[in-house]
Amino acid sequence: MNKKIFVGTVGYHILRNHSIGPILLPQLRKQDWPEGVFVDELNWGPIAVVQQFEALEVPYDRIILLTAIERPNRPIGQINVFQWQGGLPDEKQIQACVGDAATGVISVENLLVIGQYFKVWPAELFIVDVEPGPEIAGEHLTEEVAVKVPQVLQVLQKLVQNNTTEITEIDYLRGDTLFL
Amino acid sequence: MCFKNLPIAFDEDGNAYLKEGVNDPYEYKVVDLGIEQDKLKDLMAKNGFIRSVDYDPVTRVAGALAFHSVVDLEKKKVLSTNSMATLFRGYEIILKGRDPRDAAYISSRACGVCGGVHATTSALAIEMALGIKPPPLGIVMRNILLAIEYLYDHPLHLFLLAGPDYSEELVAATNPELIDKAAKTPARGKAAHGYSTVLDIMKDLNPLKGKLYLEALSMTRVAREAYVAIGGKYPHPQSVIPGGISVTVTITTLNEVYSRLIKFFDYSQKVTAIWDDVFDFFLENNPDYAKCGIRPATMADTGVWDRPDSYDASFENCNKWGNDRWSTPGILVDGEVVTTNLRDLNAGMEEFVEHSYYEGWDGHRFKTDPLGMPLSPNHPWNKETVPKPGKQSWRDRYSWDTCPTWDRLPMEAGAYSRMYLTAKAQKAPKSKFLENTGHSMRIHVPKHTLPATTLEWKIPQHWNAFERNRARAYCIPYSAMVAMENWLLAQKLIREGETKVSTPYDIPKKGTHIGFGAWGAGRGFLTHHLIVENGVIGNYQIITPSTLNAAPRTPWGTPGPYEEAVLNTPILEKFNKTEDYQGIDILRAIRSFDPCMPCTTHIMAKDTDHVVTREVTTCACGIE
Repeated sequence: MNKKIFVGTVGYHILRNHSIGPILLPQLRKQDWPEGVFVDELNWGPIAVVQQFEALEVPYDRIILLTAIERPNRPIGQINVFQWQGGLPDEKQIQACVGDAATGVISVENLLVIGQYFKVWPAELFIVDVEPGPEIAGEHLTEEVAVKVPQVLQVLQKLVQNNTTEITEIDYLRGDTLFL
Repeated sequence: MCFKNLPIAFDEDGNAYLKEGVNDPYEYKVVDLGIEQDKLKDLMAKNGFIRSVDYDPVTRVAGALAFHSVVDLEKKKVLSTNSMATLFRGYEIILKGRDPRDAAYISSRACGVCGGVHATTSALAIEMALGIKPPPLGIVMRNILLAIEYLYDHPLHLFLLAGPDYSEELVAATNPELIDKAAKTPARGKAAHGYSTVLDIMKDLNPLKGKLYLEALSMTRVAREAYVAIGGKYPHPQSVIPGGISVTVTITTLNEVYSRLIKFFDYSQKVTAIWDDVFDFFLENNPDYAKCGIRPATMADTGVWDRPDSYDASFENCNKWGNDRWSTPGILVDGEVVTTNLRDLNAGMEEFVEHSYYEGWDGHRFKTDPLGMPLSPNHPWNKETVPKPGKQSWRDRYSWDTCPTWDRLPMEAGAYSRMYLTAKAQKAPKSKFLENTGHSMRIHVPKHTLPATTLEWKIPQHWNAFERNRARAYCIPYSAMVAMENWLLAQKLIREGETKVSTPYDIPKKGTHIGFGAWGAGRGFLTHHLIVENGVIGNYQIITPSTLNAAPRTPWGTPGPYEEAVLNTPILEKFNKTEDYQGIDILRAIRSFDPCMPCTTHIMAKDTDHVVTREVTTCACGIE
């Protein structure tokens, strides 16, 4: 039996590369995924996401998030894969994340921390993070990121198929070091 | 005669006119804020204990407001405050030139919590501008949808955002002397909430782990489920449109809503009893808490929830349909109702930009409203949004928020304003569930698992942080009962075959059409002013509750509501060393407004370099 896998996109709309998730969502929905793979956006609030995942009769075995976070010293379009290792920041930070989340802020860090706090994440949680560069308003990806779309889709397919050995480098993210 | 400062008078027949013989009727004096800053500087020079602070949008993800205070920790008083919006959102500019039908969907994005109220206010503005009257079921369903939005919003604020300020963890850290007292104070509302002592309640207010915190999280889900049955999705509903709603409503829809709504009957009893117990405890143990966030009850509210037999969207009849709303629009000045007419409310509004990062404007295109009431050049229909980023200066410009006033008075907004005005004015038509006594609102809550009861919110003697939150708690049963009354109306309409939910309309390709939408957000007053010019949006102006509450000083130097409330707040927190000072009293004061943005306060402690930074995050609604 196939694993139950969720591919989710996180990010604001209309911010060019920062919106890679929302921009690629229609394309992701049309992809030929193995049975048991669900694709949806996860922009509707970490609390609501937690509540929906808590209500699942059969939880997901693996979750893959597509996002774009500006990080120092990365060329625009660089793709990094992170595996979530759990852990939590202090409670003050978690409450700050809930505060942001409850008020409509879209942030993959908030989602990771709140999901971790409420224990909805499966053991296998990956984040595919594409370097967007500075925030610019606009509906489309810039050329540097647009050319990387096939590679992004390939990485997502590999993660869905658990071909992680073909992904050259997987970094790790932890909740207790996320905000340091 | 509701205007004391604007040059608007009324003849014997009640027709408004511009006072004669005034050379420049809308002139105002611009005060040099540098004088206040120079005084602070002198103080610094003499004492050497007050230092300047650099301010940034510190909030981690979406910083939009910084709040600056200078505090004298010896005298336990606040010396200076500045409320500073740090983000330009520019929906007015985004909307210009677009098809008016886009406005509801685009303006909904102004907020991550209260998208539905922006969409509705936008729809109302278009309905007024283009003369579109929604059918009764469309009006009623809109009422239910927006009442449910408040049922999401108020518990979220009370338990997730403000609640932790009154939790055992926080009180033990800031006023430990209250913990023993709380342990010995019996909870009066035990029958409704089940807690024996106030300390038991405070423990369950603890963030992340407290049962009340977690229960509020689950109640937000209940409200969202009911909301999407009508709105299609949350927070940005797909079905709110000019002319009504765009979703088929059946008995099944109503049943889905009802099965969620009834959960708020018991919850209403519990929440009001919880907050009565907590706030009475604070106020009875230290009467100085009554000064926390105190300011005069000078407030504006647009009213919400239209009567299907009254609302016709017209400007001509807006006083009538406004007064027929389940919540009465109007203006309170120092606790007294000065008007409940939407025309007066509209005509009295002005926006000033002397201390904001905007250019002024010269035009005065609309000298009167469509019925001849004089309008200021600073009225939203005349306003132009021209951003002018610049250096931050407490002497000059320090905020992306504008300074809105009504009759030249800074106005506070909140969910509580709608209850205060409705209770005081006694204009709302008879209701099965609500009674307005002039000094209170009596709310008849039907039985669910708890027996039926009557809750009564009383207009308080002092308008402070505790009373804002207490009133917000009572807004939960208020909203639930309005939803229930409209639910019964919807049932009746469907039984009678009145199933139409929207009115078709065309956008006129020629001519100028003006309108304004007036509806309340979870945190109160919300207006959208619209000009449709040859088929597209010529001007669009949004005033949110936080535009009012977070306003910088008026041109003539009056502090905005946050600024005033914090200036009046005594420092009651207990601390041995200044570096232990957490600023809880100031935080309670600001949070009581339910500040409509991720808001960060910076508090500078006298005699130290210690800067207290605390997030007072709430909804991410845009100021401008």
